[in-house]
Amino acid sequence: MSLPNLSYLKNQTRKNKFGPIWYIIPSTIVVAGVIGYPVIHAVILSFYNYNPLSSSLTFVGIANYVNIFGDSVFHQAILHSVIWTLGVVFFQLIFGLIGAVILNQSFKGRSVVRGLVLIPWATPSVLAALIWMWILDDNYGVLNHLLTQVGLSSLAQAWFSQSVTALPSLMLIDLWQGIPFFAVMLLAAMQSISGDLVEAAKLDGANAFRTFWSIKFPIILPTVLITTMLRIIWTASYADLILIVTQGGPGYASLTIPADAYFTAYSDLNYGGATAMAVVQAVVLFIVVIWYLRLISKQGILEQ
Amino acid sequence: MKAFNLGKKSIFLATIAFSSFTLLGSIGLTQNSAFAQTKKEVSKPVTVTYWYWLDDPSQNTTQELINKFNATHPGVHVVGRLIPSSNFQQTLINAAASGSLPDTSRFHDWWVGQFATNKLLAPLDSYRQHWAFNKDIAQRYWNTGKTGTNSPIYMIPNEYITFYLYYNKAMFSQAHLTPPKTFQQFQTDAIKLTNPAKHRYGFAMRGGSGGQDQWFAFMLAGGAEMVNNQGNVVINSTKAVSINQWYINLFEKYKVAPPSAVTDSYAQLLADFENGTVAMFAHHIGSYSLLKQALGNKLGVIPLPQSNPKHPATLGSMNGNVIFNSSTNKAADWTWISWLSSPAAINILDRSVNAQLPVLTSVAKEPYFQNQLAWKIAIDEESYATDWPPLPGVGAVSGHVWQQSMDQALLGQVSSKQMVDTIATALQQSN
Repeated sequence: MSLPNLSYLKNQTRKNKFGPIWYIIPSTIVVAGVIGYPVIHAVILSFYNYNPLSSSLTFVGIANYVNIFGDSVFHQAILHSVIWTLGVVFFQLIFGLIGAVILNQSFKGRSVVRGLVLIPWATPSVLAALIWMWILDDNYGVLNHLLTQVGLSSLAQAWFSQSVTALPSLMLIDLWQGIPFFAVMLLAAMQSISGDLVEAAKLDGANAFRTFWSIKFPIILPTVLITTMLRIIWTASYADLILIVTQGGPGYASLTIPADAYFTAYSDLNYGGATAMAVVQAVVLFIVVIWYLRLISKQGILEQ
Repeated sequence: MKAFNLGKKSIFLATIAFSSFTLLGSIGLTQNSAFAQTKKEVSKPVTVTYWYWLDDPSQNTTQELINKFNATHPGVHVVGRLIPSSNFQQTLINAAASGSLPDTSRFHDWWVGQFATNKLLAPLDSYRQHWAFNKDIAQRYWNTGKTGTNSPIYMIPNEYITFYLYYNKAMFSQAHLTPPKTFQQFQTDAIKLTNPAKHRYGFAMRGGSGGQDQWFAFMLAGGAEMVNNQGNVVINSTKAVSINQWYINLFEKYKVAPPSAVTDSYAQLLADFENGTVAMFAHHIGSYSLLKQALGNKLGVIPLPQSNPKHPATLGSMNGNVIFNSSTNKAADWTWISWLSSPAAINILDRSVNAQLPVLTSVAKEPYFQNQLAWKIAIDEESYATDWPPLPGVGAVSGHVWQQSMDQALLGQVSSKQMVDTIATALQQSN
């Protein structure tokens, strides 16, 4: 009895192996064009002295990097970027988690409240900046007025005009905008938890905190980690608010890397220096994201 | 057979004749249609693109002017694009980098150096010589469109501003004070008008965005120069350091400005002055109609106080219009931007909410501008106003260098000398 000819199966397997590649080619081309080209162009530009008005390009090697790392203003911008990013994302996560737990409870008008909490997230940056500029205004701000009304007038101050309060005030605005995003993402994850699991925990005598920490939190952890990673990237690159409210001031007190790059590009017309700053931030973020993905991949979170 | 041959010949000749006729006809038709097309192109108006900003976008005065121009100039069709003033320079830079500049644009005098140095602006001298209103604009205004003594003119003047001082008559009256004429009187009045416990301050200092104009106006009034007659940057001279220290002291030592002055910009200053939080506010005619509406008879206007009233000085600033070198319709561009500076347009623009000082001498003499005190003071100040120098570094100074160094000086982080040294260094940089 001769064995059947299975060569056609081998061909089929080869086809199946390379088949998916054809499907991802269109998206690869789009990603390469929309993201890849600008990134490569920016990296190349960072090695040149480029004035956008004259369009003259002069190769300067790593001079732009040497200049920015030797610039004390850029050092301050790095420090402020770290404080801004980690501070904002950490508190957004904490308050977003608390918000998600509250919104996951049964109470009257829950659907309306769930819709309303999204308003800050949906508010355009420029509008949010203008609203908060007046809320925190020294002379007419609601916050200072309230502090005075409750006998804490000594705490009322010019929030954006002092080095120690300018960056925290900006962080407060971004917290207000970003908490709903965390809350809604985590709420969606919480709603996927089976009621049977929670019921079983209660039957085993677990209190509310224990139920949350041992049952719910491990299940929403993948969402927490992915959302946190996204917010780190977005927050680190977010400069609109700072440029509108304080322009990085007073002095350099709220200057972050993107804001510094903006002024270097558009006021100093030093695109090479500005792209060098952007590349430094992108490399740092890339390393953080890779480390983060490896960490959560090792723990099998991505597969959950 | 003969008949056949003749017939064949006839057919051949007929074919040749027909072909020739058709060919000639085609040529004729082609020529006719080409002629028609050329005629059509000639009659089709040349499109001129124009970018502009408005100080008060709630009323689009420029679009009104564009409509009026298009209705009266069949050979040119202007297409305008309103861009927020805060993004205007950035948009122009992006457009220059990507080769997509408009044909014409509204322009600040302090951008001329940056753009002309990089050969982006078209010289206007040859057009200007044949323009009917050439001599109705003072030479010193034309000079605001130059980059140096021997440079061509790159910008046609359109609207001018000079810095003067608004004061709240009621607050001065309550404090039994007279409006200041000198720096010393200004400082004394500001101190007397300040009462932090009641949220009352003498002076609306602008340390935030755009505050470099107010600061430079006081520096000039104190006797400082940005650039000397030889063209050297001297804003860090001993005299300039001392005047700058006086200005810093108003906030740091005498505390006559609100604590938020470090980052206050136009919106905060306007609110403070309208609500009686501050008694004095240095600005220009652009805010007059708004303040008159808010304060009525309480609004007072005086020339900017001087360190030495015998040698007065203040800041002037020109907004004009330019043609970019990349434009292929420069004659049509000139028709448009020169019309914007003609009496027909100036009389509309400078009587609107976007009004500034008319650059045409004949218009400035009209009763409307001479019979209102604020206008008269601002126009009188023109004779001794100094503009930002046309240095490429002015872009960086007004973009962020001034604000960051002023903030630091007001907060005591750098000295007056360090501040003006930083500004001088930025001014000397060439882009």
